[in-house]
Amino acid sequence: MNARIRSRLTPYLFLAPALIFMSVFTLYPLLAVGYYSFTEYDILRPPAPVGLANYQRLLNDGVFWLSLRNSFVYLIVTPVIIALAIGLAIALNRTLPGISVFRALYYIPVITGSVAIGIAWQFLFNGSGGPINGLLLWLGVIDKPIVFLTEPSYILPIAMLMTIWMGVGYYMVVFLAALQNIPEDLYDAARIDGCNHWQKHWHVSIPGIRPAIVFVAVISSLSALKVFDEIYVLTNATGGVLNSGSTMVFYLWKQAFRLQNVGYASAIAMVLLVITLSFSILNVRLLERRED
Amino acid sequence: MVTAVKPRADAKRAPKALGSAIGWYMVLGIASIITVFPFFWLVTTALKGPGDAVFSLPPQWLPNEPTLNNFARVWQQIAVWRFFLNSLFVALCTVVLNITVSALAAYPLAKMHFPGRELIFYSLLATLIVPLELTYVPGYILAVQVFRYDDTLWSLIFPNVFSAFNIFLLRQAYQAVPNDLIDAARIDGAGELRIWAQIVVPTVRPSLVTAAVFTAVTSWNALLWPSLMLRTREIYTLPVGLNTLRGMFSADFRLIAAGTIIAIIPILIAFVFAQRYFVSGLSGAVKG
Repeated sequence: MNARIRSRLTPYLFLAPALIFMSVFTLYPLLAVGYYSFTEYDILRPPAPVGLANYQRLLNDGVFWLSLRNSFVYLIVTPVIIALAIGLAIALNRTLPGISVFRALYYIPVITGSVAIGIAWQFLFNGSGGPINGLLLWLGVIDKPIVFLTEPSYILPIAMLMTIWMGVGYYMVVFLAALQNIPEDLYDAARIDGCNHWQKHWHVSIPGIRPAIVFVAVISSLSALKVFDEIYVLTNATGGVLNSGSTMVFYLWKQAFRLQNVGYASAIAMVLLVITLSFSILNVRLLERRED
Repeated sequence: MVTAVKPRADAKRAPKALGSAIGWYMVLGIASIITVFPFFWLVTTALKGPGDAVFSLPPQWLPNEPTLNNFARVWQQIAVWRFFLNSLFVALCTVVLNITVSALAAYPLAKMHFPGRELIFYSLLATLIVPLELTYVPGYILAVQVFRYDDTLWSLIFPNVFSAFNIFLLRQAYQAVPNDLIDAARIDGAGELRIWAQIVVPTVRPSLVTAAVFTAVTSWNALLWPSLMLRTREIYTLPVGLNTLRGMFSADFRLIAAGTIIAIIPILIAFVFAQRYFVSGLSGAVKG
């Protein structure tokens, strides 16, 4: 009898640690953030219910709309990163001496970490004489140096370049694995049908790695919507001149941890949840269509 | 497979193949320059002496009076090695706890039938779409008011023990373990914990490595949450320490560059020696 009860309990005992950690660190925060979003809360005093006030405030908050807009603009990263990663994967998908060295090299930005890379980028884009300004002057594109990082219209594109530079190596590996699964005879058939080099990739490689493309599109667009590190590091935690580089997660962080508006930050978090949820549903739809 | 089929065509293509190889090397070379340049700039800046201009137009590419002094000064003024040890401690503890908890939870989901299984499965699935950033606000309040572990390294470990992602990754791997193997062990009277530890877990080692590498790199590079939790400099992790180093040495960019290089070196060394695991681990996690 005792043994029987024990064997009945077994699956739950295996699951218990995970469920406990999940409840405390994921489910509870989800419920709490929903509750806080209807309160005014500064952490020191207990939360005071204010109804929909935080959400009404969102509607009239120019910085929130700017942040939302910036997060969506950031999605431009996704198609660019996919195109570059596929191009690089195609270039690497051949047997040439030393090819594995290149493969390893392109992967280094993936593991270096955003702070170190952000510091390097601040050097590169320095306004009083970084190498990017030097290059542009030398090419004759500009005639006086640009103060990139304090120029409101440049901060977001520079952050996006950093995201792309950091991420290409990662997605390249995914595409490389997918390319290596395409049977060689498909390429032979394409060659017999008179496809040239580029047509071959367009008609065989791209359709062959379509599942990987969908997957990368989802992963990279979700992380683009939630970008924080690049903005934080490149603007020295200011969000840029006139909040020009502020994104949803950056504004959430600023409201919660710089301005102690926890209730208001929670309302931003709820908007973030709805947006990422919609993206995930969209993603499931896309994946389903793929399987048809 | 294909090479043996058409030797004549291959022979004809030989000069063209050489030309295309050169073309590909050029593409790969340009991509390499773009990849390496930011690191090159950090190194050349870190090696510059007091007489060399950090920023100038046209830029000064190489130091005229190269020196290792900048590295020595950073090393003396900031205990970068301590940041490194803190990061290592956090990453190791997170990996051990996370993988143990995930490997346990995945077992009944893959190999047992019990009431509530579907419910638990779908709850786990649902947590995958909760953005981590959303949990930071209540997580902060929990850390400060309930657990009171803010400003300790544990605050970086416990919130990252649960990962639905790793549970699903391992569940998928477990499903490939033959049921006969498990049933045979059950008939022999082995307990479930023993079956798990001695039969199931050892057979999914590649997936464990995948999950571990992904968890370790994520922990190693985390910035937002650690910078919320840590206030005492002695327990800073590398990203947090590096971020404050910028402020400390803002008068001399050579020192910032030197500190950044010191901070990058450990992960680069790890990458050189375990490249295979890094690449397959991180990309395997995407596919899983």
